[in-house]
Parts: sequence; C-alpha cells; structure tokens
Amino acid sequence: MTALLELDGLTRHFGGLTAVDEVTTHVGQGELVGLIGPNGAGKTTLFNLISGFTRPSSGAVRFKGEEITGLPPHQVAHRGMSRTFQNLRVFPNMTVFDNISVGALGALGVGAFQSVIGGRKRSHEISERSWEMLERVGLNEQANDLAANLSYGKRKYLEIARALAMEPDLLILDEPAAGMNHSETAELSQFITELNSEGLTIMLVEHDMSLVMGICERVVVLASGRKIADDTPVEVRQNQAVLDAYLGGDDE
Amino acid sequence: MSKQLLTKVGMVVLLFVVVPAVLMAFDRGYFYQIATIAAVFVLLAASLHLVTGVAGLLHLGHAAFYGIGAYVAALLGSELEIGFTLGLPAAGLAAAFVAFLVALPTMRLISIYFAVATLAIGQMLYLIFLNWVSVTKGPNGVLLFSGIDFFGFDIESEIGIYYVVTAIMALSVVVLYRLTNSYYGNALRSLREDDQCAAAMGINVTVLKMQAFVISAFFAGLAGALWAYTTGYISPNDFNFSQSILVLAMVVVGGLGSLPGAVIGALLLILLPEVLRDVGDTRNIFVGLVMFGAILFLPKGLFGEVSALRFARRILGSGWSGSADNREVGWE
Amino acid sequence: MLDPYYLQQLTIGLSLGMIYALMAIGFTLIFGVLNVVNFAHGEIYTIGAFAGLLMIATFGPPLLAVLLVVMAVGALAGFGLERLAFKPFRRFSDEASMKSRAMREATLMSSLAMSIVARESLELIFGSQFQSVDLSYLINKQIQLGPVTIVNGDLIIFAVALVMFLGLQWLLKYSTIGLSIRAVSNNPLGARYCGINTDRTIILTFVIGSVMGALAGILVGLYYGAIYPSMGFTPGIKAFVAMVMGGLSSIPGAVISAMILGITESMATSVVSSVWADMVAYAFLLITLVFFPQGLFGARRERV
Ligand SMILES: Nc1ncnc2c1ncn2[C@@H]1O[C@H](COP(=O)(O)OP(=O)(O)OP(=O)(O)O)[C@@H](O)[C@H]1O
Ligand SMILES: [Mg+2]
Repeated sequence: MTALLELDGLTRHFGGLTAVDEVTTHVGQGELVGLIGPNGAGKTTLFNLISGFTRPSSGAVRFKGEEITGLPPHQVAHRGMSRTFQNLRVFPNMTVFDNISVGALGALGVGAFQSVIGGRKRSHEISERSWEMLERVGLNEQANDLAANLSYGKRKYLEIARALAMEPDLLILDEPAAGMNHSETAELSQFITELNSEGLTIMLVEHDMSLVMGICERVVVLASGRKIADDTPVEVRQNQAVLDAYLGGDDE
Repeated sequence: MSKQLLTKVGMVVLLFVVVPAVLMAFDRGYFYQIATIAAVFVLLAASLHLVTGVAGLLHLGHAAFYGIGAYVAALLGSELEIGFTLGLPAAGLAAAFVAFLVALPTMRLISIYFAVATLAIGQMLYLIFLNWVSVTKGPNGVLLFSGIDFFGFDIESEIGIYYVVTAIMALSVVVLYRLTNSYYGNALRSLREDDQCAAAMGINVTVLKMQAFVISAFFAGLAGALWAYTTGYISPNDFNFSQSILVLAMVVVGGLGSLPGAVIGALLLILLPEVLRDVGDTRNIFVGLVMFGAILFLPKGLFGEVSALRFARRILGSGWSGSADNREVGWE
Repeated sequence: MLDPYYLQQLTIGLSLGMIYALMAIGFTLIFGVLNVVNFAHGEIYTIGAFAGLLMIATFGPPLLAVLLVVMAVGALAGFGLERLAFKPFRRFSDEASMKSRAMREATLMSSLAMSIVARESLELIFGSQFQSVDLSYLINKQIQLGPVTIVNGDLIIFAVALVMFLGLQWLLKYSTIGLSIRAVSNNPLGARYCGINTDRTIILTFVIGSVMGALAGILVGLYYGAIYPSMGFTPGIKAFVAMVMGGLSSIPGAVISAMILGITESMATSVVSSVWADMVAYAFLLITLVFFPQGLFGARRERV
C-alpha cells in the first residue's frame, strides 16, 4: 500500500501551548483512518495543519509524495484534498445547488472572461458534477432552497457533498456525526463506508466511538497533542495509554 | 425561457423606445440631463454591486475610481484632443489599473478593515484630484468642450447622447449580469459567505477578490467617462466620500446581492429627489434616511441574497434569478 | 540644539496630536466594548461644537458653563445614537453575534447613515460655511515659551485630554462602572450571567465616549475658530487611524498613535505643501492595515 499522506514530526505551538506535538503517521491509498482523542487533544489543529489552514511550527506534510507543508489552503485543495469543518460551514445564503457548485468550480476553475462569453463546456461540467453529487446525497429535491433553510442533518450532508464535488483523492471529515442521533449516525457511517469502498481515501475525526470503531480500519489516538496509539480498532480499545487518556482525565 | 426573453425584449424596448419617446415628447434639456445622470449612476451601482453585493466586500471608495475615469476621459479630451472613442476605454482601463495597484497590498484585509482601507484609498485619490493642480486643475475642475465622437460620428443632439450613454450602460450591465449570474458569480458569493471555507474548496480568495475589485473599477471608470462627456465639466467634489456613500446606499437600498436591486436603487435615489425637489436641497438627508431604513427593515440586511425586491423577482419570474437547472456560465 | 523652526513644528504637531487623541479616546472606548466602528462619532463632535456655538450666541455664559452644556448635549446625542443606530442590530446578546461580522457591518452602515442625516440636517439649517464665533471665546491667545509660541488653547486641550485620559483609565480600572464595561467588552453573555445589565453598560459606554467627542468638538472649534457641519469628518478619520495603529482596543495605544500622527503631519508640512498633510494619516492607516491586517495588537482571526 502506498502512502497517500505522510505526516512527519508535525508540531504546532500556540503561544506556550503545544497543540500538536511531533505527530508522525501516514494514510495509505484507499484507507479509512479514524482520528480520536479527548477534547482539546489537537485533532482539529492537526487537520488544519494538513489542509494548509495553519502553518506548522515544525515538521512536514507530504501528499502524493510531494511536500505540501506551508502551502495555502486553496493550493492544497487543488492537489486533491478536501475537507469539512467541525462547526458546519455551508454558505447559508446560497442555494443548495450553488453551494455544491462551489466545490465543483473550485476544483475545475472558472474565469471571469469565460463567464461573459463562451465557457459553455466548463459550465456544463460543473453543473453535471453538481447534480451528480446532489443526487448522491439525496438533496436534488431541495436544489433551489437556501442552504440556511435545510435541517441540520441535511446541511451536514450538503457540506460533505460540496467537498465531494471537488472529486478529491483524500477526504478529511471533522466530526461529521456531531449532533446527529443514532439512526442518522448509522446512515452516515453507511455512507462513509460506501464512499470508501469506491476507493476514496478518508480521514475522519469523531467522538462517536461506535462509529469510529465500527468503520475504520485503523485508528490514530491523540492526547494533549501527542500520538499515543496508531493501530486497529481492536488493539486501540485495549491500549492502556488510550484508556488512561480517556478515563484518567487530564494529566496536564 | 420565453418569460426571460420577454423580460429582455421589454427592457430593450423600454430603454431605447419608450424612454426616448417620452423625452422627445417633453423635449426639455433638464429631462435629458436627468436621464443620462440616471444611466451613469445605474452603471456605477451595478459595478459596486459586483464587489459589495456579490463578493461581500464593503467598498467605501468607489467614487474615486469613477473619478479616475472621469479625469482621464476629460483630460484626454481637453488637453490631448483624444476623443470619446478612445477616451472611454482608456478611462476604464486607467481606473482598473489603479485599482490593481492599490489592490495588491490591500486585498488580504477582511470585513471592516477592508472597508476602512478602501475609504483611505478613496480619500487619497480625492486629495490627488483636489491638490495635484498642474494635472487635474485642482478645485477648478476640468472643462470638456468636445462632444461625443463615436467612431467618426459626431453626436451632438441630446437624444443622440442619451442613446450612446444608455447603450454603453446597458451593455456594461449585461456584462456585469453575466459575471454575477454564473458560476463565476457563485465563486464570488462564496467569498461573501465564508472566505475560509471557499479557500478549502480550492478557491484562490485573494485573486478572486482582486478580480472583482478591478473589474468593478473598470466599469466605474467607464461611468466616469460618460459623466465627463455628458456634463462637460468635472470637479473633485463629484468624486468625494459622499458620492461613494450615495452609490453604496443605492446598492444597499435595492438589496445587496441583487443586480436589479442595485439598478432600481440607483433610479430611486436619483429620480426621487428630483421629484421632491420642491422640499429644498434635501437629497443627502433623503439618502441617509433611505439607507438607514433599508438596513433596519430588511431583516437579512447585508448578508442575504437579500432584497427588498425579492417579491419583485418572484413576480417577474426567473428572468431575474436564474434557476439552478439552467444556470450555465454566461448562458441563462 | 534643535532648530527653532522644527521645535515650533513639533509643538504644533503635539497640539494637533492632542486634538486627535481627544477624539480617539471616545472612539476607541466604543470600539473596544462593542467591536463596532461608530461612524457617527465625527458628527457627535460636530454636534458638540454647534451646541457650544448656540450657547455662546444666545446666552454668552462663561466658558466652563458652555463646556458643561456641551457635555450634556454630547451625552444625549450618544444615547440617541446608540438607541437608533446600534440597539436595533443587537438582536442577540451572546458574544458570537455581538461581535459577528453581520453586526459590525450593519452597525457600520447604520451609523454611517445616521452621520449623513445629522451632517446634512446641520447643513440645511446652518448652511455649509464657517459659522462666526464670538471672538472673545476663542482659545488662541498667544503665549511665548522660549523659542516657541503656543496658544492658551494648547494648554486647555492638553489639560482636558490628560484629565479625560486619566479619568477614563481610573474609571475603567477602579470603579464598578468600569468593571462592568470591561466585563461586557470581554464577554457580553458571561457579563449578563453575572448580573450585569449589558444594555445599560453599552449605553453608558456610548454616553461617556460621546461626551468626550462633543467636548473635543467645541474645544477644537474654539481653537481654530472654525465651526461648520462637515468639521467632524477628518478628525473622525484621524481618530480611526489612531485607533487602528494603537491596537484597536487600547486607549493608551490610541493616544500615543494620535500624537505620532499629529507630529508626523506637522513635520510633513515642512517638506510638502500643507494640503497634502492628510495623506500622511491615510498612508499610516494603509501601512498599519497591510502589515498588521488586524491592527497592531488586534483581535485574532476567528479559528477554523
Ligand atoms: N488558533 C488557535 N490559537 C490558540 N490556541 C488554539 C488555536 N487553535 C486551537 N488552539 C488550542 O489548541 C488545542 C487543541 O485544539 P483542537 O481544536 O485542535 O482540539 P480538538 O482535538 O479538535 O478538540 P475537540 O474535540 O473539542 O474538537 C486546544 O487547547 C485549543 O484551545
Ligand atoms: Mg475539533
């Protein structure tokens, strides 16, 4: 298995706090990797470091064998990585369709000039792809509704669909199941496994243990910024360091 | 589709048949003047709509770019005898070029910091208009005697000037409409909604903001040239801060994010004070009050694809809001 | 030894800086608490000047009485402004929405609209030209201090600015009002849970800031002998520049920046024509904004 994403000694300080501390791991092509850890463990920060939203204090990120450390987010995205946000960020005053189209046009690119004359082929591609994603997450009925008017669960799917419309090689999901009930979570985990089985590499942060343990092949555990385990779900569940981190409370 | 076509034909008939007919029927210079001023401000509001309404950047110095266009056109015409045909594009390009230069360092700024930076830029340009006497003639302003030469035709009649100004305005508005009602427009909207999130979608936020700013300045420059040629005299105070605010008020009143809104806002703020002329010189108070009312009573205020005119859109159907399924870049 | 000419320029710069500081203090106070730009602060300044002018023209009381009335008018104007242009947009009082972009931009525009209405109404009533002020009230009697000449207005403005600055620092640090202002500025929702009346605190902040603005208006009006409806625009911008340079919510920072601004401007006029002096402030603003996009020590960008 070739590594799609490699993290090498990734570290980030915020003032005196080390939010991510010397994290080294990798994500192989086609893998579905879970990232867990207590609140404030540095999971979101790690995602921000990977996707270019935060610059690492030291360490390197390699994606498809190329170094992407310190690249701005849009360039990281262009290389085939797309992400969702922990606190659900759809474009509220745009329609559902327009939301998704931003993912597609971000990846394909649109120019000011071609939007005035010509550019039919490109726009055709964008709308094809957007419709495809809409159908995929079952939002085609609501294509013309404002995103702000969707239910919470649907907005979550919208955000994922928007990220998928970029047709990424690596999808990073930050707590996709937060705020969902049991059946919704089950449905979501079904969806994620489905995406993965189609060959999409996924990295996911989640607090819902049953989701992570149920679908991930490998789980990375962070505590206070440090990686304390990186193993199969079964092993992680029995790992003493992990149990301590979760049950022993803060050791800071 | 047919409804859209109907709207388009209706607009063309209105602009190029009905309004001229009315103007000719009354045949008063004053009416022609108002009609051309209205056309200039419609173009200005439409150009600000691109930056402020769609891309969500609060721009408080728009009048300065309008001024650059006006000065370039007027000075080319009066000093170098370069006429309208070349002066018009030169005005637009000059404004766009200056916008590009000032945008280089400032486009990283967000929200109110952007607003204040544009205010400062606008004021600096205004100071240049006012104090660079050797070039701009300072507070005395520039007189432009030459009429509009349009590819060799000399256009002198008032109705002729109306046609030229309106045609250029209409063409520009169509271009702006296509820009904003396309996937490119969606990219701009995503900046307004959440620029960090847009970056995660692979959108180069800085470049896109810069494009919107420069394109908008280009059209403001065109409006400036039209202004210089229709009034024949420009002075720094035509391009000061309160003019920027006037244009901003037009966009806000019509509803941010809506091009027809910007157009109607411009007409409202130009024509209504003329109607209310008897009340005295209260135009600016009126502008302030209308702006305040618009901010207060449009519950979504700035951030929706909002408008006082949403109902108007609904009534006029899809002609104004491309529905998702037939939206393509540049083709509705 | 410094050339007396430059010493004189320096003195002029200091007094100019003092004037900007007078304005910047109130402006920064309001920004620090509400995180909003009060575009109408310049008009509060103008209203203060006009209130003083009317007092002088109709009653001709001693200067101190004029100042007291001006302060009262400023307080009233600040109260009205807050109710009209800010309160309606404070629909939710949790921290996120109070400091949200929507709130900031809506109030920026509403205060802008209010400032237009106020300025244009004054222009409609009084005309746009300079108003004549009773000469005996002007504070421009010359005083020779060694090689430099100053006027009594410099001393008055210095004294008032100092009192205002120290008084405010004291108020914020040691009084209960100050405590509640600081609490609201830190975390409005938290402050409310602690039993602080956020609404009243915000009004109070506006009132204090506006009293200072109005006072600045009349003092500067009497200093230059120039009172006119659009007099507040430029000082308003200068105050904003000082605030941004000083780190957005730091009053000492704003005061120091105002002094720097004043001195630079007056020094610049010895190199270029004085009509370009305003360029300095705008250039300062742009440079600060560009190199410190959120102000010198300003708030961080929201987290992803
Ligand atoms: N921009 C920032 N500035 C300062 N500190 C930060 C910043 N971003 C994160 N932190 C701190 O870094 C630590 C890790 O935060 P992070 O958001 O990565 O945790 P998390 O694992 O995602 O937690 P949660 O499960 O709550 O989402 C926290 O202590 C947080 O306060
Ligand atoms: Mg997190």
